[in-house]
Amino acid sequence: MDISTLIEVALIIVKVVIISLILFGLPIPLTWLERKVAGHIQLRLGPFRVGPHGILQPIADAIKLMFKEDIVPEKADKRLFKLAPLLAMVPAFAVYATIPFGDKITIPIINKDITLYIADMNIGILYVLAIGGMSVYGIILGGWASNSKYAVMGGLRSAAQMISYEIALTFSCIGVVMISNSLSLLDIVKGQGFYWNIIYQPLGFVLFFIAAMAEINRIPFDLPEDEGTLAAGYHVEYSAMRFSFFMLTEYVAMVTVSVLAVILFFGGWNAPPFLAILPLPPIFWFVGKVAFFIYFFMWIRFTLPRYRYDQLMTIGWKILLPLSLLNILITGLFLL
Amino acid sequence: MTNIFKNIFFIDFIKGLSLTLKYNVSKTITLRYPDEEKWVTYQRFRGLHTLNRDTQGRELCVACELCAKVCPTKCITVIPMEDDTGKGITDRIAKVYQIDLVRCLFCGFCEDACPTTAIRMGREYELACFSLDCAVADKKRLLEPSEIPQEFEGGYVVKARFEKNKEGLKVKPDLTKKKRWW
Repeated sequence: MDISTLIEVALIIVKVVIISLILFGLPIPLTWLERKVAGHIQLRLGPFRVGPHGILQPIADAIKLMFKEDIVPEKADKRLFKLAPLLAMVPAFAVYATIPFGDKITIPIINKDITLYIADMNIGILYVLAIGGMSVYGIILGGWASNSKYAVMGGLRSAAQMISYEIALTFSCIGVVMISNSLSLLDIVKGQGFYWNIIYQPLGFVLFFIAAMAEINRIPFDLPEDEGTLAAGYHVEYSAMRFSFFMLTEYVAMVTVSVLAVILFFGGWNAPPFLAILPLPPIFWFVGKVAFFIYFFMWIRFTLPRYRYDQLMTIGWKILLPLSLLNILITGLFLL
Repeated sequence: MTNIFKNIFFIDFIKGLSLTLKYNVSKTITLRYPDEEKWVTYQRFRGLHTLNRDTQGRELCVACELCAKVCPTKCITVIPMEDDTGKGITDRIAKVYQIDLVRCLFCGFCEDACPTTAIRMGREYELACFSLDCAVADKKRLLEPSEIPQEFEGGYVVKARFEKNKEGLKVKPDLTKKKRWW
């Protein structure tokens, strides 16, 4: 092993650590933002007392979660109960191995190019969808191991929902893959310069967005943790840090879906046309677009009511699936 | 036909989203009490009682004990005494005048019964404190002029300052910066 290989390996480890730290830290501003958005939409202020404009509220919450008692129900399947939050969390993080945040930057002094992604897989999108879908194991096992009726109902609902919407989600990505002729996320972004994929794939984007919303259990599809009927769904028996692992998973999944939407349909780190003359780094546009989608998810959450379970299934199987097939057909005809 | 159009272009969703966006950027209706703002009640509000003086500074109370008689919870104690030094408007003033605020139900009968408009329900409503001493308002406390002048028209949110000391918590209003709540 020569020195350059070692440097490459070290670089990858550093990148993995940085991305993990960012992802672990992300729920802190996101919970604050979510509560602020909720507050202002309902003409309230949201958190306001801890720090200026309540900005330190999530830190107070984190301290509270850490010091709370970690309760494991007596009749729970203890090993699975403890494993489930991690099973949910690991795939949510593993997805980021292949997500490109930018092309490459050159560090000025040592003149070395650094790529802003951990790995450029040639099956990137397949990897993201496959690994992302594995998060559901954590939810099902968490619901099952709790030995509680609410939790198991939440877990089962989650399983059914994931199966229904995974298909539509994958099919809606196929149109993009057909246009860019590649499964690699890097190539997909590089393929959209001036004209983003949203122009060619409006239907695909709508389908992707709806299916993604169901995949990450956000309102209006948050049947697995339906407060009205299931208390808190699959994590009803969880407390303290294990509960916060589930929350972390949920927020990371929301970021993942926003990132995917930006990469697949909104040109990744490419600046919007007509704004490209602004001297801003590409990562700025990337983060800006992702932030917009995250806000959009929150905005939707406090606008729409929750769907009924049969409506959820109807939307998944009778509307999204045929439409996504139709989308592939239309894309194919145009490409011919 | 319109239904299909609505469903395809998510018209209902867009309507709802634009409404919530409008709320998101509009002003909040939260009253930031006690940190920054305080609600100044209307003149008709029935808060902590005040004993009033006339324009020459004489006590209006003639210790007729009508308020004590009419009080449904019997929380007012009045003991009259004779005084010809001109402290009161007649030569009979109250030696003791105290109101047990824990028992008072702020019905306002006392101010209705008062023949000289000596006792009035004021606008002070922050009555909580750390010791039980403040639960009984004596004559000295009742005679203190109210923080908000009687003429000040109520129904405003004013800027305020939150004060915390040994006696209790107080929110000091700044009556110059007022605004309507809605």
